[in-house]
Amino acid sequence: MQQFIANLKNEGFKLAKRKKYWVFLILGCAVSMASALRLLIANYITDGMVSRESILGGLMNSNLFFVIIFFLPLMAIMASCDLFVGEESDHTIRFSLMRPVRREKLFFSKALAVFLLCAIDLAVIFVATTLTQLILGGGTGGIASSFGACVLDLVPLAVLVLFFALVNQLAKSSSLTVLLCVVLYLGLVALGTYLPSVGGLVFVGYLRWHNLWIGTTLPFLPMLSRIGLLAGYGLVFACGGYLLFERKEA
Amino acid sequence: METILSLEHFSKLYRNGRGAKNISFPVERGQVVGLLGPNGSGKTTIMKAITGLTNPTEGKVEVFGADITRDREGALGKVGALIEQPALYESLTAWDHLTMAARYYPQVDKARMEHVLQLVGLGAYAKERCGRFSLGMKQRMGLALALLSEPELLVLDEPTNGLDIEATIEIREIIIALAKEKGVTFLVASHLASEIEKMCSHVLVLYEGEMISFDTKEEALRLHPSLEDYFLDKVREKKGPVVL
Repeated sequence: MQQFIANLKNEGFKLAKRKKYWVFLILGCAVSMASALRLLIANYITDGMVSRESILGGLMNSNLFFVIIFFLPLMAIMASCDLFVGEESDHTIRFSLMRPVRREKLFFSKALAVFLLCAIDLAVIFVATTLTQLILGGGTGGIASSFGACVLDLVPLAVLVLFFALVNQLAKSSSLTVLLCVVLYLGLVALGTYLPSVGGLVFVGYLRWHNLWIGTTLPFLPMLSRIGLLAGYGLVFACGGYLLFERKEA
Repeated sequence: METILSLEHFSKLYRNGRGAKNISFPVERGQVVGLLGPNGSGKTTIMKAITGLTNPTEGKVEVFGADITRDREGALGKVGALIEQPALYESLTAWDHLTMAARYYPQVDKARMEHVLQLVGLGAYAKERCGRFSLGMKQRMGLALALLSEPELLVLDEPTNGLDIEATIEIREIIIALAKEKGVTFLVASHLASEIEKMCSHVLVLYEGEMISFDTKEEALRLHPSLEDYFLDKVREKKGPVVL
């Protein structure tokens, strides 16, 4: 476990040292906060017919589509490509491969570092958006449900990170892998959107996982099958990614 | 003597047909073994297998009694390595690299990190990004990372590659001093026979992926004026006389 944590710290350290992740985080916060201004402008144009509370209440919920479907997957693609195929192509992966740490620990600590980066970004955006809501007079409405939605959406995000980790084992070129991740992700999102019958079987269809938990009574059995489906995808991606990583030659 | 590294019928063949074939040799504690061979003879392949960077096609590699493919943590705990060009992150400083490497070894503290930087002559560049380092400085940084954990076995592939004459001598002296004073075992690869001759106790000659001899330096020099002549003699034995 000590070696796993050592490698997790190192992967986090490497990501934190790259300015682009800070820039993207600031941009993500800016876009989320700007949505509040957009709503206020709309309210001003319509002569303030609607109260600020009803416009800004649950501001984070209205931003979740952008954050969960576009922002975090983009971060996950960049980070996974930096930590896997990027290191492989410039041979820096040898830095950790030559250390006394097993390869499965290396693979899963890298994937966990990518997931934690996304989770931290989501938390920061949540805090920034919630503060914006409070400062602009939106009240406290919807904050608890937004928080719950963010926490629930971390589950499919973990599966998505494992998917990108698997894709990273398929090619040796960094730019090709980024392209592959983007095309596959957008393709799966489009498939789920335009073919709803297939959408239920594709894991990216569950990225806004919190939507399934809305309601007074939870349909337990259908939920169970969806949790099983997501867990199955996660297991397949984790095992496939690890098996390919284990065979990598540096 | 304690055997700390052994290769048994080790083979690693790449798709282009190159690699290493049926290599077997033991390395005992305190020995400085030089791998001598031309480019493409299999030196780096052997070193990569010892440090877990590549898996054998056949055979077994044991480091400190642990099979490298099954027990990486047991095998690599007391090993330091520099294979080909050093694995350095361009955007991180020398100190960042040492900090990251130190996390794998609980016994390494700040004093040790400062000591290895001084030892390789990079004390003044601790806070400088490795991306700005010259080839020689990168090589020194690679050596610092290899030495950090006070390893009992050091695997060095062309350690003086890119270094000037003065630095080459310094590195050679470090290797000789560590072997004599601390009993560190070395496996050093080079295509320069003169370099191997100056620091090694044993010499292993590789040619086209095959091991063609493994002798002590004294034995090699008993019938040959230099290791260069020994190497040429062994290669001629293997491939027959060279017709000009």
